[in-house]
Amino acid sequence: MTILGIESSCDESALALFDPNRGVLGQWISSQVALHREYGGVVPDLASREHLKNFPALLDLMEAECETLDYDVIAVTLGPGLAGCLAMGTALARSLSLATGVPVIGVNHLRAHAFSPFIPLHEGEPDRFPERFRELLPHLGLLVSGGNTLLFRIGEDRRPLWLGGTVDDAAGEALDKGAKLLGLPYPGGPEIERRARAGDPARFAFPRAFSGDRGALKFSFSGLKTSLRYRLADMAPEEIAACRDDLCSGYQEAVVAALAGKVAAALDRYPCASIGLSGGVANNGRLCDAMRALAARRQLPLRISRPEHSGDNAAMIAFAAHCDPDGTIPDTDDGFRVAPAWEPFSR
Amino acid sequence: MIEELKRGLTTRSPEDTEAAGRALAGELPPDITLALSGPLGTGKTTFVRGLARGWGIRETVISPTFQLYAVYDGDRRLVHFDAYRLESPEAADDLLIEDFLEPPYTLVVEWPEKVAPWLPEPCFQLLFGITGEHRHIILLNEEMP
Repeated sequence: MTILGIESSCDESALALFDPNRGVLGQWISSQVALHREYGGVVPDLASREHLKNFPALLDLMEAECETLDYDVIAVTLGPGLAGCLAMGTALARSLSLATGVPVIGVNHLRAHAFSPFIPLHEGEPDRFPERFRELLPHLGLLVSGGNTLLFRIGEDRRPLWLGGTVDDAAGEALDKGAKLLGLPYPGGPEIERRARAGDPARFAFPRAFSGDRGALKFSFSGLKTSLRYRLADMAPEEIAACRDDLCSGYQEAVVAALAGKVAAALDRYPCASIGLSGGVANNGRLCDAMRALAARRQLPLRISRPEHSGDNAAMIAFAAHCDPDGTIPDTDDGFRVAPAWEPFSR
Repeated sequence: MIEELKRGLTTRSPEDTEAAGRALAGELPPDITLALSGPLGTGKTTFVRGLARGWGIRETVISPTFQLYAVYDGDRRLVHFDAYRLESPEAADDLLIEDFLEPPYTLVVEWPEKVAPWLPEPCFQLLFGITGEHRHIILLNEEMP
């Protein structure tokens, strides 16, 4: 029952094979800098036609690397994402389906991110996965990327529920745009993290939106960006250059504290058996440390998605088709359309 | 609000900026493209949130930088477009927006300079700037320069 995953919701074209009895067999992705891109930086070309060029090459790679290429289901991202890009992935899925007679199902990209921290859990012992997964439920997840900042809870029935999100900028976007304001090169998020390690997080304090209102499960990073702008306007270029590491550290700390603080607030309200972190910003070491500290304080297991499952990737799409069947849509003759604004979670 | 913005409107908080957008929404002809120019952190997305509220859209209006554009339906259909990550007008063409969206809709574009030849006419330009801490200025040009 091998699943072929296809992802093309935004910049990245990706394929993966997942076998529920063995785990992820392989994944093929159009760019090796996927991790950095998730922070929301400028990419060479967002055009849908890039996917059209990438997919045949990826298919060739996959066929060359697999001794026997056999799959029983095709799982493709239907949304959310850019309509033109999504259409390329679904067109590929349907073409392969016509050629092979294998059925297609549509997967929600953000739900796939939500379940991605559990891929390694499955890989360890596929047979015991249902039971080991159940022990981690209910689960509180934080999904952070260049375009999304979402809090959700996976209930004991495996259904994810929406708890909160950003009201303006995504966390990855805040890091990237902060880097831009600080004059740092692309990719901005990792550059802020690198410099922040050498800086003093307490020297410059930046605002943490909604931190006083612990009940409000929402994020805002737009005011943080503006406050950095005000701060820099008061400083001479030499002064900025001399304090850049401290500025990075203080700014990153505000983002991380806002994220971890709301996870803590959500746990107070919705007790959970585990915590998770997914999306491209899961590669930020400082955020991982803050989540580890929180997990230790609450004595809860923490699941962080692996780098190869954090950015946009097809392994998570194939895995979600197996692990989260409620989040999929079967291909029927009348209604298999791209869903650019598909809401991932019930509210 | 159009007249105030033509003279240059000072806002002192995100709420002010949002209110200005809301007020402009009621005065804006339906076939106008709005081009929002100005540096990071000056209030462009906040202003678009105001426009959305003015058109009866209640959804959360988030920054479209990563997703490139978002569509909201209210009294008008608002297409909130952000060219920050695009490198050329051709890249905007390649998004095939017209193929996936039926008019009428009002297009509001952040970072319009990056896709200037692509912007549908007629187009109003709004310039966003900061004159001091908690003093932002918004200026309307009835033509894109």
